[in-house]
Amino acid sequence: MQIRDYIIRRLMILPILIIGTSIIVFALTRIGGSPIGIYLSHEMSPAEVQEMKERFHLDKPVPVQYFYWIKGVSQGDLGWSGVASAPVVDVFPKKFAATMELAIAAGIVAVSLGIAMGTFAGARRNKISDHIIRVVSVSGASMPLFWFAILLLIIFWVWLGWFPIGRSDPNLFEAIPHPTGFYTIDALLAGNFSAFRDAIWHLIMPAVALGYGATAIIARMMRSSLIEELQEDYVDAAKAKGLAERVVLKKHARRNALVPTVTVIGLTFGFLLQGTVVAEIIFRWPGLGRWMASAVLRGDQATIMTYVMFTSILFLFVNLVVDIIYAYLDRRVVLGD
Amino acid sequence: MSPDNLDIQNSLDKDLIASVTDLKVYFESKQGMVHSVDGVSFDIVDGEMMGLVGETGCGKSVTARTFMQLVQSPPGMLAGGNIKFRSKNIKNGSQVIDLLDLSENQIRELRGERIAMIFQDPGKALNPGLTIRTQVAEVFQEHRENDVLEEAGLKNKLTGVTEYFVKKYIKQEAGFLVTTLFKIPPLSTYKKKIDSGINRLVAEALEETQIPNPTKVMERYPHELSGGMKQRVMIAQAIACNPDLLIADEPTTALDVTVQARVLDLIKELQKRHKTSVLYISHDLSLVRRICDRIAVMYAGQIVETGDAETIFNQPKHPYTQGLINALPSMSHERGKLEAIEGIVPELIEPEPGCRFVSRCMRRKANCEEIDPKLKPISEVNKSHKVACLLYEA
Repeated sequence: MQIRDYIIRRLMILPILIIGTSIIVFALTRIGGSPIGIYLSHEMSPAEVQEMKERFHLDKPVPVQYFYWIKGVSQGDLGWSGVASAPVVDVFPKKFAATMELAIAAGIVAVSLGIAMGTFAGARRNKISDHIIRVVSVSGASMPLFWFAILLLIIFWVWLGWFPIGRSDPNLFEAIPHPTGFYTIDALLAGNFSAFRDAIWHLIMPAVALGYGATAIIARMMRSSLIEELQEDYVDAAKAKGLAERVVLKKHARRNALVPTVTVIGLTFGFLLQGTVVAEIIFRWPGLGRWMASAVLRGDQATIMTYVMFTSILFLFVNLVVDIIYAYLDRRVVLGD
Repeated sequence: MSPDNLDIQNSLDKDLIASVTDLKVYFESKQGMVHSVDGVSFDIVDGEMMGLVGETGCGKSVTARTFMQLVQSPPGMLAGGNIKFRSKNIKNGSQVIDLLDLSENQIRELRGERIAMIFQDPGKALNPGLTIRTQVAEVFQEHRENDVLEEAGLKNKLTGVTEYFVKKYIKQEAGFLVTTLFKIPPLSTYKKKIDSGINRLVAEALEETQIPNPTKVMERYPHELSGGMKQRVMIAQAIACNPDLLIADEPTTALDVTVQARVLDLIKELQKRHKTSVLYISHDLSLVRRICDRIAVMYAGQIVETGDAETIFNQPKHPYTQGLINALPSMSHERGKLEAIEGIVPELIEPEPGCRFVSRCMRRKANCEEIDPKLKPISEVNKSHKVACLLYEA
């Protein structure tokens, strides 16, 4: 099957998956009870409470409530966020951009560093550099994010003062427009270099903290699959052709070693999104994760449902991309069957 | 390969292409040093097919890989000996070099160019992620940049920086940036010419091994071809530069019986046509007899008998060779139990002195366990027939 046909087919299945996800998300959230509490205050009379229930259709059976939710969503109404004191749909894009900026930065750190470290270690198996990389990656995979993030915070913010926390210097960013919500891109579009530098500067510490665990996982996967590939006959055959060590490693072994690594990279994306909650709280990053954490604590169901739905959809797309890359790398993969 | 290498020590009999002397390759293991190849000596006559026969684990593949310095180290290590090789590069004339003395860069120049290798399992020896074209092309890119330039119609047409980068690009020495530049205009016109030049060279090479429809086959990935076809691709790749010595490491073992015969005939035919010397490694004595001029029989890391194929078959002297030939099923014998050599191959970890075959030998003498037999000519008449056995020592 052609890759293009495969993508079309996968995209056609996507709506079914999304509807299924929405049912599960709604059901699981409603298990936590009625969301009415977030809309009420102590001063309201029972009649007013009843009126609020009717207004939000919370007096109806739960399955009916689901359809009201879907109806709202399809009309662009994601509900009222008690935490943000604003409609979810107004707050969401900004927070989403903030989180994506952080997650993508962490992803870039993890993928580039992970593949580079894994290749380096795998090609120098049992040499000193391999051992050093092993120590670095084992600690990355075993240190909890909240602990490592606080460690970075203490060293680089409190002691050394090299990196700031938060997302940006407000003085720089109030002046420029925010068409994308990604501060780095906005700064570049505005041609404001000092703002760009500031955005990057704020991004480094949380991105490293968040990406470290994923870096470790990717590096270990890359190392072991590269070592496996280097044992293969085709590596000897390539050497027997007179090719340089560098060509054998980069053109022959590394490409095949990437196949299992790409699967792991796809899985790590979920790991990163999950990590944004902790990283955003610790580094005071105004993103979805922090918003989500308070929403969960206060039973802000509209926010929770939106967040879970959105990350699920994102995940479906990431998996699709991973499958396509997979097929590109490993020509033996037959798509679709 | 400086002229210094051309000293007296590197002399080689005129009719030989290569000579292995007292080769020792050991492997480190937790139990001790494994003496995989322990004092192997044999000659390969120029233009002939030399068979190296022995059972699994006797060190024949390691011996072959040592020719190209392809033994991984560690755990492998060269414990002694040398391999003299007559490199017949037309430009520099022929010269004799010790293959084990060469640096990584020097041996790289020979690999695939003067010495080539066919592997046992073509399914594993081809990279699953690259097209046939890409893989065969690499031989030309590495060793025949001038041919590529000529086929591309770029020879003597480039100057200065362009020539420098085009050559780097052909030899796959260019970095990421330059490689990317070749994909976009104006350099992409060179890439197109180079690609079509390479295509012609690859198609020609594939045609040499009787692959039907080479231009179609070369766009395929290895998994889309049959085993026999893959081995033909491997052979095409190996003989692309018309090497002086072709090492065939059990090239038909992984193939179907019907395909085996055809691949074997192909190797034999190419060998005759190009007058290539071949070191043919196999565990199959009758197969080797069919195609080889001379045979060396290997047992537990040592050569036990060597001579021309007919002598080895008709007058085997070493008890191991005799046992092997007896064990061959034959049309002239009655049906019945197959003969076998009793016992198993000894451990090669820190071996004791004495004959390696002693525990399985039916004709052993009292001092066989103490004295190492030396490989010696058996008679004054036929000096090429050598045996390592105390039975024949005066």
